[in-house]
Amino acid sequence: MAHVEIENVSKAYGPYKIIEGLDLNVADEEFVVLVGPSGCGKTTTLRMVAGLETVTSGTIRIGSRDVTELRPGLRNCAMVFQNYALYPHMTVGENIGYGMKVRGESRASIDKAVKDVARVLDLEQYLDRRPKQLSGGQRQRVAIGRAIVRSPDVFLFDEPLSNLDAKLRIEMRTEIKALHRRLAKTIVYVTHDQVEAMTMADRVVVMNRGRIEQAADPITIYEKPANLFVAGFIGAPSMNFIHGEIAARDGALVFAEPSGTGLILPKSREAAYGAHVGKPVVLGVRPDHVLHQGGPAGTSIRMVVKDVEPLGPHTLVIGSVGAFPFTAQMPVGVAAEPDRPFELALDLRRTHLFDRASGQAIAAA
Amino acid sequence: MMRNDPIKHVFIWPAVLVVLAISIFPLIYSFTTSFLSYRLIPPIPPRVVWLGNYASLLQEPRFWNAIFTTTLIAFIAVGLQYVIGFGVALALNARVPGERLFRVALLLPMLLAPVAVALVARMIFNPTMGPLNQFLSEFGLVNLPFLTNGHWALACIIAVEVWQWTPFIILMMLAGLQTLPEDVYEAAELENASAWQQFWGITFPMLLPISAAVVFIRLIESYKIMDTVFVMTGGGPGVETETLTLFAYQEGFKKFNLGYTSALSFLFLIAITIIGVTYLALLRPHLEKRR
Repeated sequence: MAHVEIENVSKAYGPYKIIEGLDLNVADEEFVVLVGPSGCGKTTTLRMVAGLETVTSGTIRIGSRDVTELRPGLRNCAMVFQNYALYPHMTVGENIGYGMKVRGESRASIDKAVKDVARVLDLEQYLDRRPKQLSGGQRQRVAIGRAIVRSPDVFLFDEPLSNLDAKLRIEMRTEIKALHRRLAKTIVYVTHDQVEAMTMADRVVVMNRGRIEQAADPITIYEKPANLFVAGFIGAPSMNFIHGEIAARDGALVFAEPSGTGLILPKSREAAYGAHVGKPVVLGVRPDHVLHQGGPAGTSIRMVVKDVEPLGPHTLVIGSVGAFPFTAQMPVGVAAEPDRPFELALDLRRTHLFDRASGQAIAAA
Repeated sequence: MMRNDPIKHVFIWPAVLVVLAISIFPLIYSFTTSFLSYRLIPPIPPRVVWLGNYASLLQEPRFWNAIFTTTLIAFIAVGLQYVIGFGVALALNARVPGERLFRVALLLPMLLAPVAVALVARMIFNPTMGPLNQFLSEFGLVNLPFLTNGHWALACIIAVEVWQWTPFIILMMLAGLQTLPEDVYEAAELENASAWQQFWGITFPMLLPISAAVVFIRLIESYKIMDTVFVMTGGGPGVETETLTLFAYQEGFKKFNLGYTSALSFLFLIAITIIGVTYLALLRPHLEKRR
């Protein structure tokens, strides 16, 4: 059992607090991805688990062991670094086997383990090459091989794919997922790429300013964002936000935007929204939850188009609704033109409402 | 400009002539002189002796003594400089308080003129009036013959060489250390590699190319040692600390035996070339692995 428990962990550099009171439990064999913008503390968190950064306060446990004060080598974690961190003067085989050599294991067992790992990662023909003679993807596989060979309790990945090109990144993503299934080990993975987070994780942890904004499975994160930050961070293009307030009109709750248009909120959500009548809220609409015209009354809004971006499978219509920027994902060939109004119908069952003051989602049952 | 544009000659030939004039011509002149019996005092007309100067040099015990002394000084001094210099560079590379002050202070000796250093050293090591012996006598030790005994004098010269030139090694190794990537050490740290294992497994091999270059430069420089020995011992006692350059100086500027000195210079060049080629041949397999 190698679950990871991060309990009330804080990290400060002098007067600068990077992480404050972070709590996170990673279950045994779980694949958790920490995602967030630059400087949100995700890499620092990972490095604290690895022992490469000290903890200012709090406790970190791996399995049943309190590792907070242990040095990195005694934590039985393996880390894959963003820049691979391969030993440039060693061959691929020596790189993979270095840890075992350091631990004084026999030449025969090192050779066998290195060959096994090389077979799994398709590196057999490169064992005598040096890192310099490998492509980015191969180097990354060597780094992963070095991690696998020591059979750690926990794998830590620090933005391992960010130096690869888009195509290779997709391939490596699949490989790492397959590896996780095969090895059945706990993985903590850091990335700033939300697509990586969504596609790979059992659970996504969205971080911002040293705090966890939401930790949930990818679909929940996407469909039920806990707050404005998560809603805006996850999803590409990101969610549209329109400020307004909830009003009661003609026996129904409506979202009233500043221009006066009232969007009739679904009956099923009235119980949750009722307490917020008259309060400022933010309506969140994903670009792909918008239909072009033809919606029933009380579901339509008008945007002014600024640009139309044909992307192939669909077209993005970019503009604004009132003072708020708005992007709609439309079918190819949609009749939208710059500087012209464009009628939209919203699928209001799939929209989100957030309390403007706290930024928190107004929970809908 | 095209590759075969004749204008290229305007750029190439002046450079070729300058190089010929300032570098190749003196070499050729000196080479031809080495086949002559050519003395300025008393002024005797030059006479071709072919390999006569070389033959008599190779039979001259003083020449072999100078080779031995120079080699001894060069290898021991450079060895010590490398070990101490690398150690100090490692210490300076660690972020310790006051590290910047140490960095400057430790680099100072290299900036001093060797003659000045040798003069100070001669005073310090003076067997009768030097402060070192005075200091040692405080502990009841007898006066040590620092510059008057052959072995002690060699040790003193080596000590001064180490003192003056270790900073060069520190400077180069520190520059090398600062280029090493940090994440490689973090990876080793996660593998539970001890500091010693990290040094032998990562730092030393990764700095081998720069080490090879630094030792090579220092070795060649040390073979040319002149001013320190000249000032401290003048090659004495007897010829016990006489180095090749000092021997050449004695022959060239005391006896004005130019043919003989030229031959000596070329033998010196051959010796250094042999040492350099052997050194590189020994290191090549290790360096090529790191390409």
